[in-house]
Amino acid sequence: MAAATRSPDTAPPEADGPAGTRLSRLRYRLSVLRHEPTHLLGILLVIALLYLVLAPLVAVLSDSAQVQHGDEGQARQDPGSFTSYYFWRVFRSPVARILFWEPLLHTVVVALGVTVVAVVLGGSMAWLLTRTNVMGRKWLSTALVVPYMLPSWTFALAWLALFKNDSSGGQIGILESWGVHTPNWLAYGQVPIILCLGLHYYPFVLLLFGNALRRIDSQLEDSARILGAGRRTVAGRITLPLMLPSLSSSVLLVFGRILGTFGTPYILGLPVDYSLLSTSLFRAVNSHQRGVTAVLTAVIVVVGVLVILVDTRLAREQKRFITVGGKGAMDRVSDLGRWRRPALGAALAVFTAGVILPVATLALSTVSKTPGVFRADNFTLKYWVGSDLPGAPGFPHGVLRGSQLYEAAWNSLRIVGLAALICGVVGLLVGYVVVRAGSSRTGSLLRQISFLPYMVPGIAFAAAFLSLFAVRRGPVPALYGSVSLLVLVLAVTHLPYASRSGISAMTQLGREPEEAAQISGAGWFTRLRKIIIPIQRGALTTGVILPFISGLKELSIVIMLTTTGTQLLTTLSINLVDYAYDQMANAVVLVIALVSFLATYLTQRLTKTNLSSGLGG
Amino acid sequence: MPTITLSAVRKSYGSGPPAVDNLDLEIPDGSFTCLLGPSGCGKTTTLRMISGLEPLNAGTITVGDRIMDSTVDGVFVPPEKRGMGLVFQNYALWPHLTVAKNVEFGLRVRKVKPAERAERAAVALKMMQIEWAADRYPAQLSGGQQQRVSLARMLAVNPNVLLLDEPLSNLDAQLRLDMRAELKRIHDETGHTIVFVTHDQLEAMTMATHVVVMNKGHVQQMAPPMEVYARPANTFVARFVGSPPMNLFEVGDDAFTETARDQVLAARPDLTDRLTTIGARPENLRLLDEGDQPPAGTYVFEATIKTALPTGSSWTVLVTAGDTELYFVSYTDVHAAPGATVRCAVRTSDLHLFDASGDRLPDEAADAALTEENTATWAS
Repeated sequence: MAAATRSPDTAPPEADGPAGTRLSRLRYRLSVLRHEPTHLLGILLVIALLYLVLAPLVAVLSDSAQVQHGDEGQARQDPGSFTSYYFWRVFRSPVARILFWEPLLHTVVVALGVTVVAVVLGGSMAWLLTRTNVMGRKWLSTALVVPYMLPSWTFALAWLALFKNDSSGGQIGILESWGVHTPNWLAYGQVPIILCLGLHYYPFVLLLFGNALRRIDSQLEDSARILGAGRRTVAGRITLPLMLPSLSSSVLLVFGRILGTFGTPYILGLPVDYSLLSTSLFRAVNSHQRGVTAVLTAVIVVVGVLVILVDTRLAREQKRFITVGGKGAMDRVSDLGRWRRPALGAALAVFTAGVILPVATLALSTVSKTPGVFRADNFTLKYWVGSDLPGAPGFPHGVLRGSQLYEAAWNSLRIVGLAALICGVVGLLVGYVVVRAGSSRTGSLLRQISFLPYMVPGIAFAAAFLSLFAVRRGPVPALYGSVSLLVLVLAVTHLPYASRSGISAMTQLGREPEEAAQISGAGWFTRLRKIIIPIQRGALTTGVILPFISGLKELSIVIMLTTTGTQLLTTLSINLVDYAYDQMANAVVLVIALVSFLATYLTQRLTKTNLSSGLGG
Repeated sequence: MPTITLSAVRKSYGSGPPAVDNLDLEIPDGSFTCLLGPSGCGKTTTLRMISGLEPLNAGTITVGDRIMDSTVDGVFVPPEKRGMGLVFQNYALWPHLTVAKNVEFGLRVRKVKPAERAERAAVALKMMQIEWAADRYPAQLSGGQQQRVSLARMLAVNPNVLLLDEPLSNLDAQLRLDMRAELKRIHDETGHTIVFVTHDQLEAMTMATHVVVMNKGHVQQMAPPMEVYARPANTFVARFVGSPPMNLFEVGDDAFTETARDQVLAARPDLTDRLTTIGARPENLRLLDEGDQPPAGTYVFEATIKTALPTGSSWTVLVTAGDTELYFVSYTDVHAAPGATVRCAVRTSDLHLFDASGDRLPDEAADAALTEENTATWAS
């Protein structure tokens, strides 16, 4: 070999060149693919996810512009032909106000109100927890997140148990039974919806703000003080501007959640016909208006996607000035002095309003014959264990006695369990492919697609799923009413969280451990079995359990897809509300809250992870 | 024991220029070959292609007479079937297995019997003097200890080729020195072919039998370490190997470089049209004392001292001659203050001559013969 080997002409001169023919290169690449199934796996995942995420949305869009069976008369067109009738009906017709414009206005008002409540509560609590020496800081930081672990409509039921008046069916609330008349504006509709959702979503803001406050380099604040700025100036000129990104993020994400949330507006809005977009959509589905359903779904999807896009856009722009302090981000707390106790009092008040009050009210309502009467003969266990309850023909037994609760619990367990299992495994596989495939197209495509369901508000996704799977399409049978439909929709909607944790777990691990096994002579399955899965055991467990806990409480996504045979705990509780069996509905919600709280607590104990970081909701 | 041959190998990631392009390389059997170059030069890609972890876009890789990759024949042998050993920069030990289990893993997948497995693992651990840690988990070991385990894991399966990807870069200075000696010992004891990737020229110079200098996906020079130092094939190698780096200046800009060219061309009239760049190693430049009479064949010039930086054993001195800045190394104290004018000297035979494209110009007849002789001995 010569000292300088730059000359390109050392390759043996062959007819087809040193790179080989196109065919031989293809054979080489196929051989690589055969031994390295990552890309194949990635492509399969991409196809499956594209189908499960995009096909329902396409089905909805086509439904919205096609005359549906039964609407020929009104649309004055043949079924299946192209039409703008549904868009006209939703946006311009005489019923448009009830179908769309009022719900839209209500949604915006509620979202704004909820954001204000959540930002005030969550922001102040975040500041107390991260920047002050408030008493019981550690305990509070767990306790104040609990409202987010309760099913979101727990607050709505508790509200009714307190404030319900006699203008709607079922039992009156405690105040009314004490002789205090509660006007409709206080008992139902806008005000209670805003307060209840605000109490549910403030922990979300607390976590976002808390993380941001912790990340702000305290040296930035110190330098301002050294330059002569007072405490107030620092807060106003330095800290607040740095918090703006998390503020805008909170506002947008809460708005996105409100778009897709169902339980609370349904329970509190129905008695006074106060609808949000989500309940209007539900009404359209229930009255079998497929075309209108499709238009409303499309609108919610578009708004939801816009919200997320704006958020990521803002986040990207704000990245320019966000300073993530590694060294300076120490635990800098200001001394509250004599305000330590009052501050604890404020935090406890929030905890009481968010956890103790609703849970106690619900618990009390399930053991009282007449609400709010504290006499021994007024207490009863009949709603839990009684039989032959009068006036409850559909549910003659107490919730623990009859079979409904157990059937629903079993359904919840197997359906949500299976979905969570799929979610966790697919999430880890997504992470595996994204990390192994590196910067290739498959990897980045998969990363983006697995994130897509996050952009679609839950109830709209369910409506889209319904529209796709209600009838047989090609080789795919009609899945409506089946367990598999529920499993699929739950798995897909929770996948963004699972794949995000899968990607971060695999990124942290890196490619080397597997490559080392490969060099040592281990084939693909051996590597997966002996190296990847054992190392990622913890990540896999949380990847299954988090979707499981969140799925147990899921209502918006499943409410339209369950039938009598596939009743879940959450839908059972709403069903009981529909029949005005308030005490039993409350009992079921308490069961859900207990189960999800216990599961969360146990997981936290067992895996030593901080679940607040992965709470999807 | 096999020779590793790469021919016409190309690898590119996405768009942009290929990481490795039209690469031809022959790594001799039993050699300790260092792939040396700045980051992004394609050295790690080359190593990973040899291991099979990175498939090629085009080209052929053979080990001995076995074809590992060939886009001509459509053959690809997966990494797990190549029987090589690879040590990663971050060691890549499996955190869920004990040290002993880590080392046994390769034997286990080769279906070696338990008794033999344990014995071979013990031998490998003993060779790396880490047998006391057999029952510990990797997280309980320091970086240097982990590196020993990862070497033991590689040696246990008795691979035909050892590949090392910057294995010492995460270690502190003392450990790095120890591990260099260790690797050299392994090479002497086992006779394995070792391919070693590094961006540290000192590492390459001290351990390798052959150095492959790479830049921008191309091999710049392959030669024994001293040859690379003494006769860099082009200006890139000249600048990259040696510390402080070689002084390189284009000729004909000013009086200093013009005189230098005239001196060189007086001895080598054959280079008249080709000489573009002259190189002088800092250690070949000398400061003349008052009254020193330089021997014949020496280029003497006047320069102004800018700074003198002590490094402990020597001084690195920066001077300007005309518009040219030059570094030289002095082993005696430099008394002259900054701004002082001094006389410097360099033997014209110590100068390195390059043409317009940066390639080394042929040495004088005697040297050329020597080069050929050298090449013949180590390529055989």
